[in-house]
Amino acid sequence: MITSKIRNTSPNRPTGNPVATLNNSEKRSDQWSQLLISVGENRDRRAFAQLFEHFGPLLKGFAHASRNEGWFPGLGDDLVQEVMIKVWNKAAGYNAEKASATTWIYTVARNCRIDMLRRKSNTQHLPLENEDYWHEPDEVTPISLLQQKRSEDKVQASLAQLPKEQDQILRKVYLEGKSHAEASAELGLPLGTVKSRVRLALQKMQIIVSKEAQE
Amino acid sequence: MINSTNHHPDENMLIEFSAGTLETAASICVSAHLHYCSSCRAKLLRLDQVGSQMMSEAEPIDVADDAFDSLMEKIDTAGKAKPEENTPSDDLPFSVNKLINTSLISKNWKRLSSSVDVARFKTGQEEFEVALHKICAGGKTPKHGHEGLEYTVVLKGSFSDENAVYREGDFLLRQPGDVHQPMGAQNGECICLSALSAPIVPTSPLGFLMKPWLRINPM
Repeated sequence: MITSKIRNTSPNRPTGNPVATLNNSEKRSDQWSQLLISVGENRDRRAFAQLFEHFGPLLKGFAHASRNEGWFPGLGDDLVQEVMIKVWNKAAGYNAEKASATTWIYTVARNCRIDMLRRKSNTQHLPLENEDYWHEPDEVTPISLLQQKRSEDKVQASLAQLPKEQDQILRKVYLEGKSHAEASAELGLPLGTVKSRVRLALQKMQIIVSKEAQE
Repeated sequence: MINSTNHHPDENMLIEFSAGTLETAASICVSAHLHYCSSCRAKLLRLDQVGSQMMSEAEPIDVADDAFDSLMEKIDTAGKAKPEENTPSDDLPFSVNKLINTSLISKNWKRLSSSVDVARFKTGQEEFEVALHKICAGGKTPKHGHEGLEYTVVLKGSFSDENAVYREGDFLLRQPGDVHQPMGAQNGECICLSALSAPIVPTSPLGFLMKPWLRINPM
C-alpha cells in the first residue's frame, strides 16, 4: 500500500504482482523516505513523529547557521514548525522517484528559510515565494530510492574528503545561505575566486563535470 | 517535455539557485528555464543533494519537549490543508504564470517599437526590470547595446541574432557591452521573459509607476 505511487509509475517493475512492495534492499536503503511516503498516503502520525524527531533539531540547526539579514532569535523554532507543517500538508505530493525525503525536506527548508528572512527584512510586497521557483515537471526517468541513496552516500563521503578551504566555501554557500558576493566579502576573496572554488569543490565531488572533461 | 534547449544558465547560477541565494530576478529566469530543461533539472537535483547533506550535518539544536505536541495541535486545528492552488498555465513555467496572474503592471501589451511589445512585472525588487517581450513574426528589432546585465528566456516561438537561433527554454545572458540585433522567427511571434538591470533605481515604491523606461532605443 505504501508503495503504490512507486509501483504505478515505474516502467521496470513487474506488473503481474499487485501486492509488490519495495524489495528489501530498497526498504533498508532509506527509512526517511519510507516514513514520508507513509505520512503522505496514510496520514501516519507515528511516522511523522519519527520524522520530526530526526529532522526537527537539524532544521533548527539549519536556521541558526544562517545569520543573514532578517535573522531573529525565534527563527529556529519558527522554521521547524513551518517546515514540518508543510511536510505534513505536502507529503501526499511527495514523489520518491524524484528525490529522497532528506533532499525533499531540504528544499522545503531552504525555501522556508529564505522566505522567512525576506519577510523580516523586506518591506515590499513580494509576489513570489521561493517555493514558486520549484515547480518543475516530473522527470520521465524515475530514480529508484536505492540509486538515490547510493548517490547521497557518495555526496556524504566526498564532502568529508574535501580540502578545508573548499569545504568552508560550500558551507558558506549552502549552510549559511551566503551568496557568492557575500562569501567573497566575508572571506576577503575576489568574486572570481569564490566562483571557481565553489565549482572546483563540486567537481571534486563529481557533482558537476569539469569543462575540460566535457570536451 | 523534450529537452531541446541549447543555452543554459552557468554553473554558478545553478549553484546559487540551489542554495537559494540567487537574487529574485535571476531566480525567476532560472526557474523558467528549468521548466523546459531536463538536463539542468538533473544537475539541480545533484546540487540539492549537496545542500541536503549540509543540512544533515548542521549542528542539531534541541527543540522544546512539547514542540511536537503543539505542532500537531496546530495541524489539527488548522483542519484539512487546502489543496495546492493550481492555476491553468497554458504550459508556461509556474513562476511566470503566477507573475502573469498577479503582478503585471498593466494588463495590456505596450508598444515598444514597430515589432516589439512589452509587459512589465512588479516583482518586489528594484535592481532588475522583469518583463515579457513579444517580437512579431519576422520582426526586426533595432540594433542595441547593453549597459547592464540582461537575462532572457524564450517562452514561446524563437528568435535569432547574429550568433544563433534561440528556441523555447533557451537561457541567455547579455553582459554590459554586448551589442546585438534580435529578429523574430518568420513562422510566428516570439515571447521572451527578460530581466534587465535598470540604470535608474526608483527611490520610492511608486517608482514603478514612473514613465516606462525604453530598453530598446528606437533609433
